[in-house]
Order: sequence, then C-alpha cells, then structure tokens
Amino acid sequence: MNKKMIEVKNLCKDYHIVKKEEGLKGAVKGLFKSEKKTIEAVRHLDFTVDKGEIVGFIGPNGAGKSTTIKMMSGILTPSSGEILINGVDITKHRKEVVQNIGVVFGQRTQLNWDLRLGESFELLRHIYQIDRNEYEETLDVMDEILDIRKIIDKPVRQMSLGQRVKGDLVAAMLHSPDVLFLDEPTIGLDVSSKYALRKFIKEINKVKQTTVILTTHDLGDIEELCERLIIINHGKMMEDGNLVDIVDRIAPYKTLVVQYYDHENIPVHHSCEMIKTEGNMAWYRFMKADITAAALISELSEKKKILDVSIEEAGIDDIIRIAYGQ
Amino acid sequence: MKLKGLSKYLYVYKTQIIRCFTYKFEVYGNILMQSIIMITSAFFWRALYRTGNPVAGVDVEGMLTYIIISAMMSVLLITNVERRIENSVQKGTIAMDMMKPLNIFGIYLVEDLGSITALVFQNLLPIFLVGSLLVKVPTICSTEHIPLFAISMLMSFFINWLIAALFGMWSFTAVNVDALIQVKKHLIRLLSGSIIPMWFFPDWFRNILEALPFVYIYQLPLDIYIGKSSGDELAGMMMIQFVWLIILLIAFAYVARRATKKVLVQGG
Ligand SMILES: Nc1ncnc2c1ncn2[C@@H]1O[C@H](COP(=O)(O)OP(=O)(O)OP(=O)(O)O)[C@@H](O)[C@H]1O
Ligand SMILES: [Mg+2]
Repeated sequence: MNKKMIEVKNLCKDYHIVKKEEGLKGAVKGLFKSEKKTIEAVRHLDFTVDKGEIVGFIGPNGAGKSTTIKMMSGILTPSSGEILINGVDITKHRKEVVQNIGVVFGQRTQLNWDLRLGESFELLRHIYQIDRNEYEETLDVMDEILDIRKIIDKPVRQMSLGQRVKGDLVAAMLHSPDVLFLDEPTIGLDVSSKYALRKFIKEINKVKQTTVILTTHDLGDIEELCERLIIINHGKMMEDGNLVDIVDRIAPYKTLVVQYYDHENIPVHHSCEMIKTEGNMAWYRFMKADITAAALISELSEKKKILDVSIEEAGIDDIIRIAYGQ
Repeated sequence: MKLKGLSKYLYVYKTQIIRCFTYKFEVYGNILMQSIIMITSAFFWRALYRTGNPVAGVDVEGMLTYIIISAMMSVLLITNVERRIENSVQKGTIAMDMMKPLNIFGIYLVEDLGSITALVFQNLLPIFLVGSLLVKVPTICSTEHIPLFAISMLMSFFINWLIAALFGMWSFTAVNVDALIQVKKHLIRLLSGSIIPMWFFPDWFRNILEALPFVYIYQLPLDIYIGKSSGDELAGMMMIQFVWLIILLIAFAYVARRATKKVLVQGG
C-alpha cells in the first residue's frame, strides 16, 4: 500500500480585500472600520498525494494554484478545511511540519541578497539543523546535476535568473524534505536550464522518493515530469487523474495529417472532421471509436492520391484548452 | 531540545552581524547626527547652568553625562522590525519567513540584535569617543548603580522593541505605515526624556508622561546612571517599567497571534 504524503480535505480560501486608504488618516481609520470585498480563491479542494508521486498542478492564471501551494507550505492559513502532511496538520503545527517541506517560488527567492550563496546555505543548514557530513553529501549529489559548486561563492545579487533558481532549488532540498512544492520553477529559464531543472526533479524523485507538486504553464514540464495531473479553475477541482486517462477521456481523438500530390479537390470523409487545410495538406480529426487510422487512410487514398501521412495524438495542450474552456 | 532550538536563532543572529559588516548600511549619518545633538545640547546646558545652581538636584556635570549616555543609548534602541514587517508584507517576501521552521518574530528580534551588535562597533563606540573628547567622559554615579542600570536598560530595550513590533504589525491593516513609524519615532524622542529630561516640565505634564511608557525607555535608565533617582523612588519606577514591559508583551502576543493568521502574500 502506498503511503499518503499529502491529504487535502475540503480546503477553502477566501481573500478579504480591505480597501486600504492612503496616509495617516487611512491607517487610523483602517483600525476601526474597513470596506471588505471577498474573493473566493480556493473552493472545496479535496485530493490525496502518495509518497513518491510527481503531480502537475495546473490551471489558468488566477485559478488558485499559488494560493493552494502557499497553504500547503504553511504560509497562508486556510479559511476552512484541513491539510495533512505526512499525517500532521500543517496549520496547527507549522514549525514542525515545515521541517519536512521544501518550497521554491520561481518568482521569488528565499536566498539572502546580501550574502554569498554558500553563506545562505550555511544559514539554512543551521536553521534546519543539518549535520555537516549530510550537508556535504547532499551538495555533492546536487552538484552533479546543477553544477552548484561553481556559483557557491557568488553573491546572490550578482546571479542570473537561472543561477538563482538553481540556488533556490538546492536550498529547498538541503534538508532532504519528503515533500517539495514548486510554483512555476521554470518561468523565464532558457532551454538548457529547464532541462537541468527537470533532470534534477526526476533524479531526486527517483533517488529520495521525494513527493513533488509542481505548478507550471510550460507543457514541456508536464510532459517530462508528471504522470498525474490536477487541473483547477476558479478555485475548483476540474480534473484529477492519470495524464493518459485524462487525455483519453477529454480528448479521445487523433489527428491524421495527409499530404496530397496537389491542392485541388481535397476530399472530406463522413466519419471524421476536417479541421484545417493548408495547400496540399489536410488535417482530419477522428474518434478512435469511430474509425481506425488504417481504414481512414485507405478510404481517403481512393478519393485522391496521397503523398505522405502522419498521426498526431491529442496532447496536453488539447486537454488544457478543453478543460480551461469549461 | 530547547537549546537546540535556540541555536537556530543564534545562527540567524550571527549571519545578521556578517551582513551588517560586509554589506555596509548607512551608518555614518547617525554618528554625525548624534554628535551634533550632543555638542549643541552641551553648549545649551552649559549656558543654562551658568549660575552654577543645580536644577532638580542635577548639576551641569550630571546633565552632560546625561546627554552623552542618551546618545549612546539611542544606538542600542535602533529597531528595524517595523520596517522589516512593512517591507515583507508589501513585497510578499513574508512568505519566505513563514516557510521556515522558526517563529517569524523570533527571526526579526535576533536580526535586530545582530544589527545592534554590529552598530556597537560602527556607531556606539565612535559616539562615545566624540562625547568623551569634546564634552566629557560620562562616568556612572556609583558602581552600585551598574547592575540597576543594566536591568533597567534591558527592560527599556524590550519595551522599545515591542512598541516598534506593534507599529510594524499595523501594516497588516494599513497600506502605508511610514507616516505612523515617523510619528512613533518623534514621540519617543520628545516624550521619553532623550533630549529634554522631564524634570524640566511642569508637574501636570510630568504626571502624564509618567503614565505613558516612553519615559521608561530613556529617562529611567538615564536617571539611574547619573544618580538622579535612588532608593524607594527608584524601586517604584522600576516596578512601573516592569509592568509596562508585561503589558506590552501581552499586547504583542495577542496582536501577533491574530496577525500571523491574517498574513496575506502579495503577488505570485
Ligand atoms: N494577496 C492577495 N490578496 C487578494 N487576492 C489575492 C491575493 N493573492 C491572490 N489573490 C486572488 O486569488 C485568486 C487566485 O490567485 P493565485 O495567485 O492563487 O492564482 P494562480 O493560479 O497561482 O495564478 P497564476 O497562474 O497567474 O500564477 C486570484 O483571483 C487572485 O487575484
Ligand atoms: Mg501563481
């Protein structure tokens, strides 16, 4: 049986936006009364993540992903509901539970701007009470993939974005947490940095059985890393399941791309939909249940001479488009 | 267990000292300002005491010691906690403090202690030298008052820090607490006896001041230092100082509990 690492039960978060007024008068007034507006950022989320899973937590802008991550990492207090990390309620036992959690926000850093990277690590080593030998070992492992020792003497303020994110990732893993939350870790990174980051995530997941929850707008991240997806929109759960199953269910079609000899009289077919033509090329979308690719090709080739064909599976971008559109 | 927990904060404290020494914050402005205040008020008090008569039992030498020690104390009473909270709330970096296995106010306290430790060398010593060379050497009235001064000074530090932290937590409800922080700073300067001792004020005003916490930040430790206050009177004042410390501690604990539950993280 798999061990439950994260349990989220009926989780809700409302933001009460207080209309704050400027200046001294506003500050004093704000003490006594204030106009409030409520934003329901997260609505009744329920899910469980087992040890060793990598879950893609996706949704359009403003869906509530970051809010959920912040609650799961003990930064924000939920309006209602419960979050258990390894069986312990993070809201009630923040200090103990965060000892077992690593967090990276792609858009901010937990490193100290005024210190060299190594000094920031040393600070974390003391805060998380990591034994020196263990620390050096962890650093060695991470150095193999991320080349971290090269930049360890560099002040954080002088680092490039890619270097800083690598530093943050290592910082989050120094104390070997069981759970790693990553909120848009690859944002703004170049291809090779993204590649290194993904490799790192896969490696620690494999070697240390770290449970990873990752939000991203980069489909490549999901394709490379996640077997399971949780899709939310407007703070509500839209989909939760195996990536392949979700694709099969939401987008159970393939697309046949046909290249004909010329662009005249491009044929249609009754059991599929022609979604696009371009010169002598045509795209046919067909349900796997309606017709096989082989049959479609042979029937089309009777109508017009075919030069070349290829088949595109429905991808993550399709499901995301469909799921977000709902 | 408890001790192990403390060693985390000790390292945060150490790191803050390193930061202050390697990354030079603006420190010379304060030396200059404090020196100017010391020297000009020395002229002022010397002129005022020209007749040679003590005022309220304090002679000119006592008064000069008062202003030098006051300037040195002002270094120990520098707080950054209010701006630290304001900044973290406004920029959303409070998330980074909340995700650590530490109490966030514990972090802010030891950071302030670290900065002050660095400032003892960068600021307090230079002010002491300027005062000693240009005004007079500020010796304590009697050695018996050394422990009393130390205890009172310690309480004064925490009273001052707790007030600062309470003002900082205001930024959870108000957009811009800069103005408030400024008001607080000047209130303390004027009403704490840091520049003008309260014995120069009329009785009714002094009674009001004694009911507020500010005089227990500067005036009381200074009175102990120059020997203005002793015996039962001093014991009574120190009791009130202690009561203020407890009141502020309770207020702080209450507000901090509510505030951390209300933490919002801007952006991201
Ligand atoms: N500090 C805050 N105060 C008020 N409202 C907030 C705050 N932070 C987020 N929100 C609101 O909560 C909702 C969810 O925001 P959240 O940042 O969780 O979205 P997200 O899924 O991470 O989006 P993105 O993909 O753009 O990062 C949004 O409507 C946002 O405006
Ligand atoms: Mg986000």
